[in-house]
Amino acid sequence: MTPKSVLVVDDERAILRFLRASLEENGYAVLEAVTGKAALELAAAKKPDVVLLDLSLPDLDGLEVLKRLRQWSSAPVIVVSARGEQADKTLGLDLGADDYLTKPFGVEELLARVRVALRHAERAARDPEPVYRHDDLTVDLAARRVWLGKKEVRLSPHQYTLLAALVRDAGRVVAQKQLLKEIWPEGGSTPEALRILVHQTRHRIEREPVRPKHLKTEPAVGYRLELPDE
Amino acid sequence: MPVLWREYGLAAAVGALSTAACFALYPVLSLTDLVMVYLAGALVVALRGERGPALFASLLGVLCFNFFFVPPRFTFQVAHPQYVVTFVVMFAVAAVISHLAVRVRAQAEATKQAEVAAETEKLRSSLLSGVSHELRTPLAAIIGSATSLLQTSPAPKSRELLETIRDEAERLARLVYNLIETTRLESGAVRLKKEPYPVEDVVGTALERLEKLLAGRKVETDLPENLPLVPVDPLLMELVFVNLVENAVRHAPGGGPLEISARERMDCVEVSVADRGPGLAEADLPRVFEKFYRAGAAAGGAGLGLAICKAVVEAHGGTITAENRPGGGAVFRLTLPRKDPA
Repeated sequence: MTPKSVLVVDDERAILRFLRASLEENGYAVLEAVTGKAALELAAAKKPDVVLLDLSLPDLDGLEVLKRLRQWSSAPVIVVSARGEQADKTLGLDLGADDYLTKPFGVEELLARVRVALRHAERAARDPEPVYRHDDLTVDLAARRVWLGKKEVRLSPHQYTLLAALVRDAGRVVAQKQLLKEIWPEGGSTPEALRILVHQTRHRIEREPVRPKHLKTEPAVGYRLELPDE
Repeated sequence: MPVLWREYGLAAAVGALSTAACFALYPVLSLTDLVMVYLAGALVVALRGERGPALFASLLGVLCFNFFFVPPRFTFQVAHPQYVVTFVVMFAVAAVISHLAVRVRAQAEATKQAEVAAETEKLRSSLLSGVSHELRTPLAAIIGSATSLLQTSPAPKSRELLETIRDEAERLARLVYNLIETTRLESGAVRLKKEPYPVEDVVGTALERLEKLLAGRKVETDLPENLPLVPVDPLLMELVFVNLVENAVRHAPGGGPLEISARERMDCVEVSVADRGPGLAEADLPRVFEKFYRAGAAAGGAGLGLAICKAVVEAHGGTITAENRPGGGAVFRLTLPRKDPA
């Protein structure tokens, strides 16, 4: 099996060095670009399986690179940006990024994101896993049933729709906007209503809702359901 | 207000100069034309931007005109009552011109100041984002490299050192973030992005960020499910809880439990973060929120964390206080208004 390739776009040598080391250590082939222009050329020539794109590049705005890449490529893109730059993250997801990483990040986090991105890209062709299991939470999408430990959890239709949407994208951030669209397709709802819904759902599926194990908040961007157990 | 001697002196000089000009022009101009010369003088003084001297110049003009030129000349007497009207109108016109000129000048100055302030602000924020990028990038490389090595199953001794590098670099990253957010708050460059949030959500993301720091530490939480939402900027409020929890961990070493609780009050939600450490010295209590003040200096810290808590909470229209708990330990209590005061 040929190794999966990751295109890493960052203008800092020190960052590239550890990214290459840790990705190669974990069996990925690494391509590097230090400018947006080089990134686009390399992506076209080598068709990487995942793109790790830093948003602050010397030549092009990272979001511009993403926009151009999305015109012809559906390879998963993980955008990398600093803490606090939530607007860029939201915009990145709007422009078709699959996920994001906040600098500074540890390698475990990086590898988890890359794995999830690859898995979703593969799964787009196949059927989704019908059962999600993470720690004490089980969600059976086919039967529309949810268990916490051995006890079945009763959810309202909206609560279930929220959870199911997150299960389908498990491990990946799901933007507020997308959840609003899925839960209230007729429109007319607000981020505030979504936050209340998440809050209520947590009180059903989390043992300690203030320190959720499954349903995490990505501040001012969206939510993420932890990866299912392997 | 200081007396503007220079400006009054200038007004007197302009009066004298106008009078001299009028003497020169007296043979060729009519009396009413001389009024214009004095008005021009008053305008010159008014353009300097001070109201008092401008009015003084107007009055001086009227008096000089009366004394030197209105018959009988070289007296303050007036032969024809019509000149009284002339004086009144002359003074009124001079006063109005002065007033307008002073205002125009003030507006021009305000515009210029606003421009300078905007320019400074732009420079400051671009400097700030440049500096923050320069500080964060090496930290990101250090943390990334340390965690990368930790993945290679190092020997126990190396593992311990690598974990130290990672944890301390993360601490430094939090400090840098504090420093930058403090500067941004103080420069007024921050506009709070307030939206209604459950307190639980914000406390939760703060605890999540401190996961490694809290490893092995018991955190008891008591936040009722039905607390009302409060309008907060989620990132800044997360920073408040990150700092309060980090502060509690640092000052209550030895693994005593932290307690985080929230209660609904009349028009606010009260949240408290408490520890079972040694508590605060009486002398420190009134000063813990001051910038660069380091209570119990032995425990370290730059004295920024609590200062930024106070700045953020107050920017939300809330309050924050520190007390000692009966039975030992410190408690930080903050209130957040339920309705957006802004």
